[in-house]
Amino acid sequence: MSDYTLIGKRMPRVDSRAKVTGKARYTADLKLPGMLVGKIKRSPYPHARIVNIDTSRAEALPGVKAIVTGEDTEGVKWGVFAYTRDQQFIQTEKVRYIGDEVAGVAAVDEETAIRALDLIKVEYEELPAVFDPLEAMASDTELIHEDFPNNVNIHVHIDTGEVDENFAKAHYVREDTFVAPEESYFHAEPYAVAARFDHDDCLEIWCPNGGPHMKSKPLSNAFKIPLHKVKVRKITIGGAFGGRSEICPADYICALLAKRTGSPVKIVFTREENTICTRQGHAMIATHKTGVDKDGRVIARETTCYMDGGAYSSTGPIATSVPFLSMEQAYRMGSVRYNGYRVYTNKPIRGMIRVHGRAFACGVDTQLDMIAEHLGIDPVEMRLRNSRQPGDYTSTKSLVTSCAMDETILKAADKSGFKEKWGKLPPFHGIGIGTNSVQTGFPMGIRGGSQSFIKFNEDGEATVMSGVVDNGQGNENMLVQIAAEELGLLPEDIHLVNADTEITSSDPGSYSQVSTFIGGQAVKVAAENCRKKLFEVASKILKAAPEELAAKNRLIFVKNDPEKSIPIKKVVRTSLLNFNSVNAEGGYWPKVDMKREWVKNPYGQLCEAFSFGTTIVEVKVDPETGQVEVLETTAAQDVGYALNPLVLEGQFEGSIAMGGQGGMLTEYHEWEGGRCLNPTMLGYKVPLCCDMPPVNSIIVESVDPKGPYGAKEAGMSIAMSAAQGYSAAVSNAIGVHLDSFPLTPDKILAAIREKAARE
Amino acid sequence: MEKMEITLNINDKSREVTVHPNETLLDVLREKLDMIGAKESCGEGVCGSCTVQMDGKPVRSCLTLAVEARGAKIKTVEGLADGEELSDLQQSFIDHGAVQCGFCTPGMLMSADALLNENHNPDEKAIRKALAGNICRCTGYAKIVQAVAHAAEPGDHCSDCKS
Repeated sequence: MSDYTLIGKRMPRVDSRAKVTGKARYTADLKLPGMLVGKIKRSPYPHARIVNIDTSRAEALPGVKAIVTGEDTEGVKWGVFAYTRDQQFIQTEKVRYIGDEVAGVAAVDEETAIRALDLIKVEYEELPAVFDPLEAMASDTELIHEDFPNNVNIHVHIDTGEVDENFAKAHYVREDTFVAPEESYFHAEPYAVAARFDHDDCLEIWCPNGGPHMKSKPLSNAFKIPLHKVKVRKITIGGAFGGRSEICPADYICALLAKRTGSPVKIVFTREENTICTRQGHAMIATHKTGVDKDGRVIARETTCYMDGGAYSSTGPIATSVPFLSMEQAYRMGSVRYNGYRVYTNKPIRGMIRVHGRAFACGVDTQLDMIAEHLGIDPVEMRLRNSRQPGDYTSTKSLVTSCAMDETILKAADKSGFKEKWGKLPPFHGIGIGTNSVQTGFPMGIRGGSQSFIKFNEDGEATVMSGVVDNGQGNENMLVQIAAEELGLLPEDIHLVNADTEITSSDPGSYSQVSTFIGGQAVKVAAENCRKKLFEVASKILKAAPEELAAKNRLIFVKNDPEKSIPIKKVVRTSLLNFNSVNAEGGYWPKVDMKREWVKNPYGQLCEAFSFGTTIVEVKVDPETGQVEVLETTAAQDVGYALNPLVLEGQFEGSIAMGGQGGMLTEYHEWEGGRCLNPTMLGYKVPLCCDMPPVNSIIVESVDPKGPYGAKEAGMSIAMSAAQGYSAAVSNAIGVHLDSFPLTPDKILAAIREKAARE
Repeated sequence: MEKMEITLNINDKSREVTVHPNETLLDVLREKLDMIGAKESCGEGVCGSCTVQMDGKPVRSCLTLAVEARGAKIKTVEGLADGEELSDLQQSFIDHGAVQCGFCTPGMLMSADALLNENHNPDEKAIRKALAGNICRCTGYAKIVQAVAHAAEPGDHCSDCKS
């Protein structure tokens, strides 16, 4: 057992009180004096040229304060990367999906704003639209973006060499194709943004975000104003799951309306807008060809994946890579060739999501099960023979240091009774396993590190500044926990100022699972530096060397003689009286290969740590209805070190719900042309309280050499492996390896009938 | 549309408001009375984020007209605590890690509070049924169910229970 006071303990979150009393303010709750209501006019066509926009009738409507169109912008195109700048925040020439931004309105109330939208007359010339990535690649009609031939937005090509040679040597080779449609986040909080310009012409803006600095830079570019004039403010955020990472055109439109009117403006999305006009998960077609030796070890794999990217690039290069990277981290693959194509279609924009690549990951694991079946190996043994080991390099040359993949497999198998149940369950009763790995960070260039500042106040309390944002997962508590631990204070003594671009330093954001690893580490370093200053002052008072001192419960004491102590408050005041304030800074920049680039050079150290997860699922399928009843799930993750098991379990449980129960059984979008038929919660089925099976959470610790206290990330590799575990369990129950996800009753019944017909 | 002067009894306080007949209770709470605890998430009665109680029963305030709430005892999340002292249910949500992003929390609390007022010792099935109309996207519900069970009967529901 460690001798930490707070770290590793089940600490209730510091942000919970404001949330259970209803006092926590989210963006839609903000009210500023003179605030106007903003609304966005959107394209009704999937692909059309804008011929003319007439705003005159709308402008004449009493109560309308401003209308903006693409003509009012600086014409800046935005993209996450320099080579993916393909999106205007308000379209000027053409619209590329149903929902594309055409104009913005600010009015005195919502009713007037909605009436004004109807009065804006947009003349369009419809263009041929395409809704399927393979058709889009073959299409010879008008390109969605003229700079991208065949509508291919991104092509990621990875080849480690000797792939064909190893296939030739393989004992057994098979090739299978897996498909999955789009899924959505369904954050509890619909997207909202509030903006105003202050007396110094600085933009102040509040919105859900995966990193405030990811918002401020594109806004400064779009308005052509210096970065310091964009102040992204901290606000409570109602969930992200990868879907709040990027700038949203509404941010810009809201700010532009605020600038035009001189008043604060707030735009709150409808549920439908949140689904259609923020981000969705990619639809995917993944073909895996895998060759194994006689023992079932993978010696060659070739994967070709077509991803429906929708109308714009978004995080295209990352999104095209991550499904592959997660699997290359989880498993040894021998030689590998990967061709990932992200293709433009006239559908909503696709981004990162909690389970990124259902067809990809579930395809790899389903195929492993098929190969294991052919060779007479059980699924647990099959995974142990192929699992990632510490000290390995991934196929794309990342060193894996801490890795307890095998321990997650063995502990989950043991807890779930996998070996006892495998092959012995009654008909239509099944058990399955999935394993996955996610990265703790991406190469983020100049935004790859985090820096924290800490200052002591004269009452002995400390203010901690960090760029880390909390989307709901508990990042703020994590920072407070670390700072209080290192400074010897109680959590209530820490005043956290975070996620505000005016005050806090650049930070990678709550993106790519780095908040603890990088942002938490930065706070730890700052707190250690601050503690050193306290100890220097205290050592003179206590007449002991600084290295003999420790801090706990607001006291600094001599480790070998704890009776000799002094309150931290007194040390701070002593220091102030000696003309020294007590403050410090600290930062953390991961050592990644800065030459690694998603498309041009996808090799080298991707990040410093990887998490590993295993989920085992037991199900019963009703052969008459195709309904799946999930009896039990067991989730084991190598989190590095569990800073707060209470929070970690919550991440595991939420991951099973979104990745497994919803992601593999009920969640998908349906389409008619480019129109989404189920954009609201009535048609899109997310798991309810009564749907959820028991979750056994198993925390595995490998103590990462670089992470704070050895911590990595928590939950993401459960969300991904849960999808694989659910799919494996259903396949096992019905005796058919399913290749189309999610596993809805119609697909299950069809598979059962086809199997019966074959037999 | 003609505006109406109505009186609402909210958290045992009488509130006079001028409303349109088509205004929802949710809009009146949030926009006219500055009670922002109830949230709008789906706006069509599916998600439960706007749940408040009328005469002890949980209702969707996004589907309830303000004028329909006349004469009822309305309770919102702001009425759960007694001054600075949280209710057992609120404290249990904190202690059990039942709150993540928190957007669904006010509605979830109001449904759970209504259940506990009616059934002092619900089993897990009854809790899951009572909360089936409140969607949470973060937690997977496990800790919420534990928190409600503990608030009903402090005991050994999980390792976080302090009996």
